[in-house]
Amino acid sequence: MTIEMDKYRDATVMRLSGEIDMYSSPGLRKELLSLVAERVSPLIVDFRGVSYIDSSGIATFVEGLKGMRSFGGRLKFVAVPEGIMEIFTFSKLDRVFEIYGSADEALSG
Amino acid sequence: MMETAIEIRDLVTHYGDREILRDVSFSIPRGRTTVILGGSGCGKSTLLKHLIGLLRPTKGAILINGMDITVMKEEELNGVRKRMGVLFQGAALLNSMTLADNVALPIREHTRLEESTIQIMVRMKLDLVGLSGFEDFYPSQLSGGMKKRAGIARAMALDPEFLFLDEPSAGLDPVTAAGLDELILKLRNVFKMTIVAVTHELSSLYTIADHVVMLDRGQVIFKGSLEGLRASDDPRIRGFLNRRPEAESYSPEDYFRFIAGD
Repeated sequence: MTIEMDKYRDATVMRLSGEIDMYSSPGLRKELLSLVAERVSPLIVDFRGVSYIDSSGIATFVEGLKGMRSFGGRLKFVAVPEGIMEIFTFSKLDRVFEIYGSADEALSG
Repeated sequence: MMETAIEIRDLVTHYGDREILRDVSFSIPRGRTTVILGGSGCGKSTLLKHLIGLLRPTKGAILINGMDITVMKEEELNGVRKRMGVLFQGAALLNSMTLADNVALPIREHTRLEESTIQIMVRMKLDLVGLSGFEDFYPSQLSGGMKKRAGIARAMALDPEFLFLDEPSAGLDPVTAAGLDELILKLRNVFKMTIVAVTHELSSLYTIADHVVMLDRGQVIFKGSLEGLRASDDPRIRGFLNRRPEAESYSPEDYFRFIAGD
């Protein structure tokens, strides 16, 4: 998995690609929690290049969202591939995570 | 054409001098549920133990994603086992640990994830099997069906590619067994896992099977779809599906000779 940080309008964007699994999740967690500690908001996570996410990846985002909510920050997901969306829907997390089609939608939502 | 995940070629196995499996060959399709069916003592649990690398066969090959596990060294086999989740008969939970710790055990053992991440994963796994809120319970405080569910949660701990279930609904009442079958269906649909379930329960077979392999006295007597199984006119299959007892295998005179020790 690779993480690229970017800026789009007033938001910070985290672009992910590859597999988010039990080997790569600790690195993602470190990055995510350091953004939470800096109170970066809104944070847009772009899933376009993500081919797979396992339960450790989902747990990492649950931890990230919990941290964001602790200071009123917003975590927004964009371009979530269908297979990953199915897993979010199954676990009902599609109604907890804010999910948008694009960064523009995320910023107006 | 379905992609093959596991291929079993000419498997022969013995317990001592006794031949348990004889020239067993079949394929397990990826992302589907294969039910290994057969009466007690037909060799199906022995076959499952070979598929997860617990037993080595006398001869034959078991190819998982194209790699023969029967010739692998223990270290290499452990790598393959990390991709397998197994629900053993009786669930095999550790009684001295809470459910949360039972589920967390393989994650703590095989990953470097932080404890806070592991705790969230454990709650996700327990919720998946309908055991939210039971984190601090011990196995002895659970019903048979709940133990099986907890066993599945532990089998799912490392997000396995393959899930092996040994008699998942045996010993459960019909309603609890049906609930477990629904859970197995759900796991296949959502996680696209390759599931292999050994069972002699017809209700489970009809609910969960995409593909069936039937064993009789250590030999494969059927492999194919559920529809194919139902349409079979093999008397052994008809007898099993119609729950007819097997014909007596030897005459009263043979029986006499056997018990008299002649």
